[in-house]
Amino acid sequence: MEIVINGDMIAVPDDLQNVTLLDFLRDFVMLTGTKFGCGIGLCGACTVHLDGVAARSCQTYVSDVIGVEVTTIEGLDQTSSGEGLHPVQQAWIAEGVPQCGYCQAGQIMTASALLHRNPAPTAAEIREEMNGNLCRCGTYDRIRQAITRVAQEA
Amino acid sequence: MESSTKMKSISRRRFLKKTGWVAAGITVASFGAVPVVRDKIPALPTFGAPNDKDGLTWIQILVDGRVRFYCPRMEMGQGAALGLTQVVAEELNIEQTDIECILPDTNQTPPFQMTVGSQSIANFFDPVSWAAAQLREALRAVAAEKTGLSTEQILDGRSGFKLPDGTTIGYAALVPAADFIIADNRLIENDKLKRYALRPTTDHQTIGQSWLHHDLTAIVTGQMAYARDISLPDMAFGAVVQPPSFGARFVAANSTGATAIPGVLGVEIDEAAGFVGVVASTPFILSEALEVLDVEWQTGPDLGQEQIDALLDVERLRAEDDFTHTLDQSGDLEVGQQSALHRSSGRYDTPFAAHAAIEPRSGLAWVRADKVEVWCGTQDPFFVQKRVAKILDREAEDVVVHTHRIGGGFGGRVMCQASEAAARLSAKFNLPVRVQWDRAAEFQNNYFQPGFSHFIDAGVSEDGFITHWDHDVVSSSILTGLAPGLIGKAIDLATPDQGTTRGIRPPYEMANKRIRHSAIRTPVPINAWRGLGAAPNAFAIESMMDELAFKSGIDPLQFRLKNLPASSARLAEVVRKVGDISNWGQARIEDTGRGLACAVYKDETAVAVVADLTIDHAAKTLRVTKVWCAQDCGLVLNPHQVESQIMGNVTWGCSMTLNEQITFAEGRVEQDNFHSYEPLRHGSSPEVHVALLAPPGTPPAPVGESALPPVPAAIANAVFAATGHRCRRLPIRYEDIFAETG
Ligand code: FES
Ligand code: FES
Repeated sequence: MEIVINGDMIAVPDDLQNVTLLDFLRDFVMLTGTKFGCGIGLCGACTVHLDGVAARSCQTYVSDVIGVEVTTIEGLDQTSSGEGLHPVQQAWIAEGVPQCGYCQAGQIMTASALLHRNPAPTAAEIREEMNGNLCRCGTYDRIRQAITRVAQEA
Repeated sequence: MESSTKMKSISRRRFLKKTGWVAAGITVASFGAVPVVRDKIPALPTFGAPNDKDGLTWIQILVDGRVRFYCPRMEMGQGAALGLTQVVAEELNIEQTDIECILPDTNQTPPFQMTVGSQSIANFFDPVSWAAAQLREALRAVAAEKTGLSTEQILDGRSGFKLPDGTTIGYAALVPAADFIIADNRLIENDKLKRYALRPTTDHQTIGQSWLHHDLTAIVTGQMAYARDISLPDMAFGAVVQPPSFGARFVAANSTGATAIPGVLGVEIDEAAGFVGVVASTPFILSEALEVLDVEWQTGPDLGQEQIDALLDVERLRAEDDFTHTLDQSGDLEVGQQSALHRSSGRYDTPFAAHAAIEPRSGLAWVRADKVEVWCGTQDPFFVQKRVAKILDREAEDVVVHTHRIGGGFGGRVMCQASEAAARLSAKFNLPVRVQWDRAAEFQNNYFQPGFSHFIDAGVSEDGFITHWDHDVVSSSILTGLAPGLIGKAIDLATPDQGTTRGIRPPYEMANKRIRHSAIRTPVPINAWRGLGAAPNAFAIESMMDELAFKSGIDPLQFRLKNLPASSARLAEVVRKVGDISNWGQARIEDTGRGLACAVYKDETAVAVVADLTIDHAAKTLRVTKVWCAQDCGLVLNPHQVESQIMGNVTWGCSMTLNEQITFAEGRVEQDNFHSYEPLRHGSSPEVHVALLAPPGTPPAPVGESALPPVPAAIANAVFAATGHRCRRLPIRYEDIFAETG
């Protein structure tokens, strides 16, 4: 069995087909940008894209993603056409969003999936879409500013 | 794939270390002789504040003329390293790209004060500025020697100096080949040393600019290495059986089921320490191994919420008239009571709380005969060093703690228990071992913010002045919260805890007052949580201020101004300012309310907050929609960073007011994940507006926790404005207000 992560084909050992995608990414593929926060789908730190849609990798099993394009924070820049970092990553830097930064990979993955689907979200839509991503440092205001910046620059 | 990527994270650390030793040209001091004394008393956190000369060990000039700064502060998002980097740049006339800022390991600097209490800028500004200025002057002396000019003729340039003939000489040209240490007698005397960080803000080149943090790119690309992300080739994976209740004692364990699982390398049982841990060659079987590990515990006291509440019951202590400490007393309460036209009294309670940082802690340890290495994220790496040394019965200097950016600290990471477990397991199995806590461990096996129980009786005279203030508070000691049993009790009797009582003295003029306090220890482990007692204490004080204003029919903002003495001018100024920016005094709208509160954090930072609240009857929720904050924290090194801290504190304050509560049943914490303890979410977060005030010439004051204390009272006061319902107990829930009608 093989799965595609950030464009690379990765062979899955038989005994790892039933582990979560999060554990597989972090402890087998050694892509540690995707974070563990709660393990039960409540914090969003583990958010990745499955065929471009935001999903909780702690609630997804490796066997669920056969034939699906998995994108992690490490591969996000490959999904945008421009040079360098993905526009959402650039906006995150320009607005100086991160504090501790631990939740931010998940925030960026949720925000980039939202903007992909809906390039000009309303304030209410941003709040609703981002509600599943906890940030204990309280960067929510800056996250809204960064998403708005991307929407305006697009 | 596996091993090549595996190497990546660790080789990056190795690279940093390597350059740390090899490339230095001038190093302004030697840190070889770190004084570490082995002793038999328990390992203690690193309390000592730095002095100027410590600064010399943190700053080096490199052969290419750039500067390496071993920032003596742990990074957890507060950005202290950034502000201090700007101080280095200010003194040395260099750009951000000229500075390599390093989070130091324990073998890279002498021990420094743990990163708590928002002291980073306040305490470290001076030594960093002093040492960077000394380095600049040492380089100027080298330039003078080289050119045959006097030091007065060598003028400041960018990344170097200007000579009288108009040519420039960069720092790179001044770095000698051999290591160079500024001898004590070459240091410039304090009264002769020019300190650019101390000049008027209008002259500052880099201080006051919103530099962005040097870690941002690594963070947004997933490359930032937190402790959980570190691995070593051939490491093993450990997990610990957490005790089922406070004070549980290990009785017996049966490990046969666990050791039978292929991949499990063994089980370590240390009866005396009550430690049961398992080690495996792969992380994927750890949870299965833990499940079949059969451990018998003798549980601790069968403690429930009622018992805890009964222990921390201010009314019981008032009835017994039995308080250990009188923190403040002046005038005569009875006289005050008699002159009061309006009186108010009430009991205010705040619950136990958890840090709930999003990164659960992790430690990686590699114990060898000649050396112990630990990789972790902690607010006090030298405390981790000492604790690991104690556990292993080794010298502290045998232990190197490699530090990592912390995924949220808030006081909860003074220790790193996962590192201690990893060290035990590594010692036993002779392998590098990684131990990661899960979310339940993080909620149930760390230490907590204690509950607070206040009673205040106060009054106002006919002309609107406070006649008396009778305030009693009971909680648990925080700073010494982890001191064992009898020692703890003795400490509590000897002296009031500076953490628990933080902010307990109101900033207002009050002729007749008495403030009493008792600390009562419960089986719940207690230690630092954002702001310590400051937020619970301000909640009681500023709620009562609102009650008094209401009773006397005076606008809450005016009531505060009226009662603030001249010595609180900076606080009065932020109160006025927050009134301006929030357009205080506008008409009330149905189902919305607006509240105000203010406080001075650690007698230094003055903060005033206005909160707007909306009641959503359909969703049965209270939502804080907007918050305005005016803060005077003196000199601001980086406005963006300070604003971020204020936004963080406001969010935290909303969360503690509306959402958070740790409760107890059967001797343990009931909450184990974000469904039962849910920090404020994005959808409920307010828009935050910030105004910063800094009177000229004021030194930088604390920022990391300072905006938090007034927030809960501002929200409770907004609830009152919206509903007429006075909430004196946190958290405030919709159901508590609209119980009958809801
Ligand atoms: S770790 Fe997946 S949602 Fe929290
Ligand atoms: S930046 Fe720290 S949890 Fe979001």
